[in-house]
Amino acid sequence: MLVLETGADPSMEGPVPAVEFVEITKRFGSTMALDTVSIKGWAGSVHAITGENGAGKSTLMNLLAGVHQPDAGCISINGTPLKLENPKAARIAGISTIFQELTLLPNLTVAENMFLGREPLKTAVVDRVKMRELAEEALARLGSQISVDAFCGDLSVGEQQMVEIAKGITADAQIFILDEPTAALNTPEVEKLAELISRMKSEGKLIFYISHRLDEIFRFCDEVSVLKDGKYVATSRVSEIDRDQLVSLMVGRELGELFPVRSTSRDQAKALLNISAIAISDNTPEVSFSLSRGEILGLGGLEGQGQRSIIRSIAGIEAFSKGEIRKTSRETDIAVPITPTIVEVAKAGIGFVPEDRKTEGLYLTLSIAKNMALGMLRELSVWRRARVRSDHIETLLHKMRVVAASANQEVGALSGGNQQKIMIGRWLASNVDVLLIEEPTRGVDVGAKVEIYNLLREFADAGGAVLITSSELTELLGLCDRILVVRGGALVAEFEGTEATEEEILHAALSSTAENYNKKEEVA
Amino acid sequence: MSSIGLLHSPGRSGLSLVALGLPVLLFVIISLISPSFLSVQNLSNVNAQITALLIIALGQMIVAISGGIDLSVGSVLSLTSTLLVSVDPTLSIPTVLLVGVCVGLVNGVGVAIFTVHPLVMTLASMTFLQGLALLILPVPGGSIPGFLEALVDFSFLGLPAAFYWCLTFVLLAAFLLRATKFGMRLFAVGANAQNAARNGVNVTFYKILSYVLCSTSAVMAGMYLSARVASADATMGASFALESVTAVALGGVQLAGGVGSVPGVIAGTITLGLMTNGMNLIGVSPFVRASATGVLLLIAISLQPRKAIGA
Repeated sequence: MLVLETGADPSMEGPVPAVEFVEITKRFGSTMALDTVSIKGWAGSVHAITGENGAGKSTLMNLLAGVHQPDAGCISINGTPLKLENPKAARIAGISTIFQELTLLPNLTVAENMFLGREPLKTAVVDRVKMRELAEEALARLGSQISVDAFCGDLSVGEQQMVEIAKGITADAQIFILDEPTAALNTPEVEKLAELISRMKSEGKLIFYISHRLDEIFRFCDEVSVLKDGKYVATSRVSEIDRDQLVSLMVGRELGELFPVRSTSRDQAKALLNISAIAISDNTPEVSFSLSRGEILGLGGLEGQGQRSIIRSIAGIEAFSKGEIRKTSRETDIAVPITPTIVEVAKAGIGFVPEDRKTEGLYLTLSIAKNMALGMLRELSVWRRARVRSDHIETLLHKMRVVAASANQEVGALSGGNQQKIMIGRWLASNVDVLLIEEPTRGVDVGAKVEIYNLLREFADAGGAVLITSSELTELLGLCDRILVVRGGALVAEFEGTEATEEEILHAALSSTAENYNKKEEVA
Repeated sequence: MSSIGLLHSPGRSGLSLVALGLPVLLFVIISLISPSFLSVQNLSNVNAQITALLIIALGQMIVAISGGIDLSVGSVLSLTSTLLVSVDPTLSIPTVLLVGVCVGLVNGVGVAIFTVHPLVMTLASMTFLQGLALLILPVPGGSIPGFLEALVDFSFLGLPAAFYWCLTFVLLAAFLLRATKFGMRLFAVGANAQNAARNGVNVTFYKILSYVLCSTSAVMAGMYLSARVASADATMGASFALESVTAVALGGVQLAGGVGSVPGVIAGTITLGLMTNGMNLIGVSPFVRASATGVLLLIAISLQPRKAIGA
């Protein structure tokens, strides 16, 4: 492994770091979210904090934002140790956070949102004139055309992000935290953000850039710090490191060790699921592809490009206006059309694992056994006695290596990885042969990731088929047999998993809007 | 995305053509059917009839915008009534105000700190306070302090006292919502409490304050109503809990929080007032009126733009 120096060249940026994390430790219950992490950030630079999901990036930034407090260690701002007890204290210390899930209130105007919590007053009354003026000034500095009287609920995500940054400017923040800022942006908006970041940098601000996207780190950032499983790994100047080095720092092992060996049993000729020309509405592109027995197929692309709609229309959750889905029946081996409703899709032997386990997938207050049994009971009629086959469940839990005290433990108390295994296990228990999974390893630690990948590969090898959506390139490249890139709701590229490269996929996902537009016209 | 579009037109006021048009429509229909409706005497009757409800509905609106609901308003009104005839006249006003603030504090602390569901919390205080009111004054009667009666029985510039009561509370509520920090933060809390907190808003404080203001509005309504009928009754406010929620909902206030306006609440209250008065004039049975109100509420709500804020 590389040995990298900590911090930047002090002769260039001055001797006192704008932010210094000193041996920060933070626990959530029994989980060690951060373990004695020390990082320095310098004024006038962009500092990437990166690592796998669950590495502790967001936790570290939440401490700086005053959302949580460290259990041990301290945070120094310009050399002074500070206690950031709440978001307000952080704001007073000159720290502005642009959270991944934006915190603007949809029913307040742009100006109101920018001054919420620190409204300018004229005697007892909010000084709206001043508020609007200051808001306009800040937006103008960013070169933005957004009206200060618009309700934030009416703005696009990119515009909302702009407002959040303008909010930091009006608060005279010196330190900005951008948490996965491009997650919901389209290409022109990403360009705008790039411009903003360089402008803030030239004004001497420190920007913490939280991301696990390599190309953004190499494009936007001066320094990069890597966290893994809550532990500090290394800090380096971006110019002194290459992609492969960074990836191996993030993952902590070679990519090959992370993923199971691809199957040989894939039978391209035997389509298990056939999606023909489905379109969500009349003005969205048609999508056609098929899923073979033994195959793991990945839908990639930037977030919010329509992957979600595609997988959800197959799952019967989102309605589509035209097209047809056929699935080869287990009994007869004949492809039959499926009525796209949740119940019929499940009956046909297709299981869907949503991205948001907590609100869409699991019954958090019920036991593991009951959560799993809900899959098995699916085939019973309503009035049949609901017996929980505990022997069957125990076997499955053992096979999936779920770490839990017993099958009676509440699902809400489990780690993300174990919860995800329960979700998948529920479908395995109900004997499906197609799994649709959104972001199979979001919020899951590396160890559990490997186990989930193995589980999916075993499922495919046993004659099943898996369709996933993923925003992690490494996952698409390592796990999938085939990768389809989605852009603007259309399939724009197809790659064999063994042949694809990160650059190719990104290029397909990012290509210019003009090209994208032509594609749409072609389809129309 | 399309649901956000709905927010665009009415903004956070929840005002729609339905909310504002309904009272106008009723007004026209009733005046066509019943000639006596438009008399000065009758209109001032309507005004007097809706005053207490309007005051309470404005309080209910504040709680609703914060994302809560207060069912205890009716019992607070009743309790106010019984206390006004039971304590020394010089102490009566401070006593009832203190009781109002205390009830609001208990409701607010229960909801905001102990995270009891507002429906359960205020149902409990509603039940408790109703019992307390009946213990204090089992039989209706007693005499209301004279100065209070004078406060509801004057006329100025040809307009009755009820009008000025309404005007006072409408202006007060509009000022709170539109001009103050409280108003802005109340909308923020109702739309998304977690995000409001991340912006440095003390969510607990604003939630509690909204219940205190609501209970205080119920005390004010209790003083007005008791003085107007010049006697106390421990069940005087029984209908107000649900009527205030109805008025608020008719006025486009969303019980999910974050959306509502004073003009909407005025419109909702007038709609309810006109239903009562108009059907009385036309000679419809009060039972029919109750059923009709239920149907009207459902129709009005289905026609209004709705949106779960923050989705």
